Amino acid sequence: MPLPLFAPLTAGSGEAAASPAGVQGAAPPGRAPQPQRRTLALLLPRLPVERLRRPGPVAVWAQRGARRVVVSVSAEASAAGLRAGQALADAQAILPEVVLVPEDPAGDAAALERLALWALRFTPLVGLVAEDGLILDITGVDHLFGGEAALREEVLGRLGRMGLTARGAVAGMAGTAVALVRGGWEGVLPTRQEAPAVAPLGLAALRLEPDLVGALQGLGLRDVGSVAAQPRAGLVRRFGAGLARALDEALGHAARPITPIRPPPEMAVARDFADPVVTREGIEAALAGLLDDLCRALREAGRGARRMLLRTHRVDGEVQDIAIGTGLATRDPKHLARLFQGKLDRLAPECGFERITLEAPRTDPLTGAQENLGTAGRTARQEELAQLLDRLSQRLPVWRLAPRASHWPERAMARADPFAPVAVPEGWAPRPRPVRLLRKPPALEVMAEVPDGPPFRLRLGRAWQRVLRAEGPERIEPEWWRDRPDRLPRDYYRVELESGARLWVCRAGPMGAEARWVLHGHLP
Amino acid sequence: MSAPPTQAPLDRPALISALRARIARLERAGAAEALAARGEEVVPLSPAIDAALPWGGLPRAALHEVLAAEPGAAAGFAALVLARAGGTVLWIAPEPDAWPPGLARFGLSPAQLVLVRAPREQDALWAMEETLRCPAVGAALLVAGDLDLTAARRLQLAAEAGGVLGLLLRPDEDNAAPTAALTRWRIGAAPSGSRSPHDLGDPAWALDLLRCRGGKPATWRAAWHGDRLVTEDGAAARNAPARRRA
Repeated sequence: MPLPLFAPLTAGSGEAAASPAGVQGAAPPGRAPQPQRRTLALLLPRLPVERLRRPGPVAVWAQRGARRVVVSVSAEASAAGLRAGQALADAQAILPEVVLVPEDPAGDAAALERLALWALRFTPLVGLVAEDGLILDITGVDHLFGGEAALREEVLGRLGRMGLTARGAVAGMAGTAVALVRGGWEGVLPTRQEAPAVAPLGLAALRLEPDLVGALQGLGLRDVGSVAAQPRAGLVRRFGAGLARALDEALGHAARPITPIRPPPEMAVARDFADPVVTREGIEAALAGLLDDLCRALREAGRGARRMLLRTHRVDGEVQDIAIGTGLATRDPKHLARLFQGKLDRLAPECGFERITLEAPRTDPLTGAQENLGTAGRTARQEELAQLLDRLSQRLPVWRLAPRASHWPERAMARADPFAPVAVPEGWAPRPRPVRLLRKPPALEVMAEVPDGPPFRLRLGRAWQRVLRAEGPERIEPEWWRDRPDRLPRDYYRVELESGARLWVCRAGPMGAEARWVLHGHLP
Repeated sequence: MSAPPTQAPLDRPALISALRARIARLERAGAAEALAARGEEVVPLSPAIDAALPWGGLPRAALHEVLAAEPGAAAGFAALVLARAGGTVLWIAPEPDAWPPGLARFGLSPAQLVLVRAPREQDALWAMEETLRCPAVGAALLVAGDLDLTAARRLQLAAEAGGVLGLLLRPDEDNAAPTAALTRWRIGAAPSGSRSPHDLGDPAWALDLLRCRGGKPATWRAAWHGDRLVTEDGAAARNAPARRRA
C-alpha cells in the first residue's frame, strides 16, 4: 500500500525513488532499519469475579458513598440481567441466589500482577494497564508462536483454560491496542491502519473521566473519530491536554510507553517442559542445563553475572522466584549451581513446573584473565576466595572490619563488604587494646583505694579478686558531634589480676560512689 | 663412610615421629599443591616450641584445638597462629567479638580478617568445613562449644583436603572429649614479669601442649615481646606438672 507519509521524501531524491520505499519501513535513510513495534493489549473485564473461582452466579459489590453497587459480575449473573453499576438491592431482587462478595482491590491488583508475571513467558516486556488490563510488547517474538494471530489465540486460550474471560487486540502502538481492546474491537490490526480502525470506536476506548465523556456526548461527539475531527486547539482549551493526549495515543500519533512489571533482564534463558517438573532431581537437572546455556551466553558477551534469578512457572499459573547474588562477576556454572543448591528447598512445585527461566538481571564486564609468570595462581586464588565468601554469605552474615577514625571503642571499626579490600592507615592501632571486645559488657564491682584511683579489688561473677597491676586511666571523651548529648566520658584501666588474667575495665560516669564499672574486653 | 656407625644409639622416638610425619605428608597429597604455593608446611611459633613439635612447627592442613583457660590469652595465641599462617583468615563464631585493634599487635591485619556469624552449631560446622576445603584461605578459626568426634574428624579431613590450618577455640573443660585434632593446647594467662604495679608489661601466657600426635605433652611459659614469642627456659616451667590431664 502507498505510504503517503514518506512520499515527499522519496520524491525528493531521484535515486531513492527507484528503490522500493516500503521496504525501508519507518527507518530514516542511513540508519539500520528499526523493527516495527507490535503490541498485544489484553483486557480482563471479569477479573474480580473470576479470580475467586466460585461456581454459579457471582457478583462483587462495593460501597460507593451511601450506595452499595455491583462492580463486577460473572457470566452467569450477567446472563440473568445483572451488570456493573447496578444497585446491590436491585441485583438481589433480580437474582436472589447470586453469591455476593465484597470488593478487594488489593487482591485484584495482586491477581493482575501474578498474571503479568505469568505473561512473561510470551515476552520479556509486560506492563499493567489500569486495574484490569495487560500490555505485552510482542515485537519479534510472534514467530515463535506461529504469527501474531496464533500468538493472540494462544494467550487467550490459556487464559480461558485458567477460567478467565479475556479480550485481546494486536496493533502497532501500545495506545492503539489498548484503545481497540477497550472499545470492543478484537483481532490483529496491520500497521498504519490505526485511524480508520479506532475512529468508529465509542468514547469508552479512550478511558476518560465519566463527566468528560458526559460533556463530549452532550456536544454530540459519540465516537473517537468525531472527537478527533474537531479542531485540536479548541478541544485542549475546553477539555484539557489529557483528552488530546489520549486521542494521540489511540490514533498512534504519540507513543505510549510500557512500564515493565519487571525490568527486562540483560540476559535470560528458558526451558519449557511438556511433562511438568515435580522432583528435586528434575529441577536440578533443568537448572544445570539453564546455567550452562546462560554461562555460555555470558562468555560470548564477555560478561559475568552479579545477580541471578530463577523463575519457575507452575502449571496453575503461580510464579515463584529464587534470587542469588555474587560478590564478584562470575560465569562458572558449578559455582552458581552450588549457590542455588541451598535455596531450591523454597520452591513448592505441587503439581509441577511447566516452564523455568533463568535470568541475569545484573551483569558486569568479565574478561578472561591472562596469567602472568609472576602472578600464576593469584587470580585463581582470588576467584576461589570470592566463591567461598559467596557460598558462606548465602547462608550466614559475612563481613570484614575496616578501621574508622574514631577513638570511641564501639565505633573504631566499621563493618565492610567482605569482597572489597580493607585499607589500613599507616601507624594504625599503636596502643595496647583488647583482642576481644565484649558486645554486652558485664558490670563489675570494684574497690579502689582512693575514689578516683585505679581498681584495687574487683568482683566479676562470684569471687573477689585482687588486682596486681593496673595501668591507666586512659580517658576517652564521647564524640559530641555524633553522640547523644548525655553520654559520659569513660576512664579505661588495663588491669592484671592475681590469676594472670588481663582485663580492659572502664569506669563510666562520675567518680565516687555512683561510678559504674564494666568489663569491656579481654587483653591478651 | 663419613657417618660413623658409633652414632648408632638411635633416638628411636624421634625417628618414628619423623617417619610418621613423612607418612602424614604423603597422605595429604591432595593439599600438596596448595602447600607448595605457600612455601612452607608449618607455622613457626618459637624456637623452643618448634623443636618440641615433631613437625618443627604447627603444621598446616590440620586441625588444632585450643582450650581457652583465659579468654584473652587464648584469643591472643590464636591471633598469633592465624597471622603467621598468612593469607585471608576467617573467624567463625556464634557472635564474633574479635577486635582488630588488639589483634593487630600479633600481626593480624584487618585486611586479612573476615568474620562470619553462625549462631547455630550446624551452620558453624558447615561454614568451617567449606572454609577448610578452600585452598585460597590461609587459616580459619571456629569458636565452638562441645564438638563430637565425627564433626571434628570431618573438619580434620577438610583441612587435609584444602591445606588450610584450622583452629578450634573451645572453653577449657576438665572432661573435654577427645577429638580428631592433631594437637590440643590449653592457653592460660601467666603473671607478667613486670615489677611495677603500674605497668602490665608484655603479655605472658602459660602454654600447655596437652596432646600431640607423635609428640609428647609439654608446658611452656611464654611472653610476647614486640613481634616474637619468647619462651622462658626456666626448668621450673618444664618440671611443673600439667594442672590437669586431658
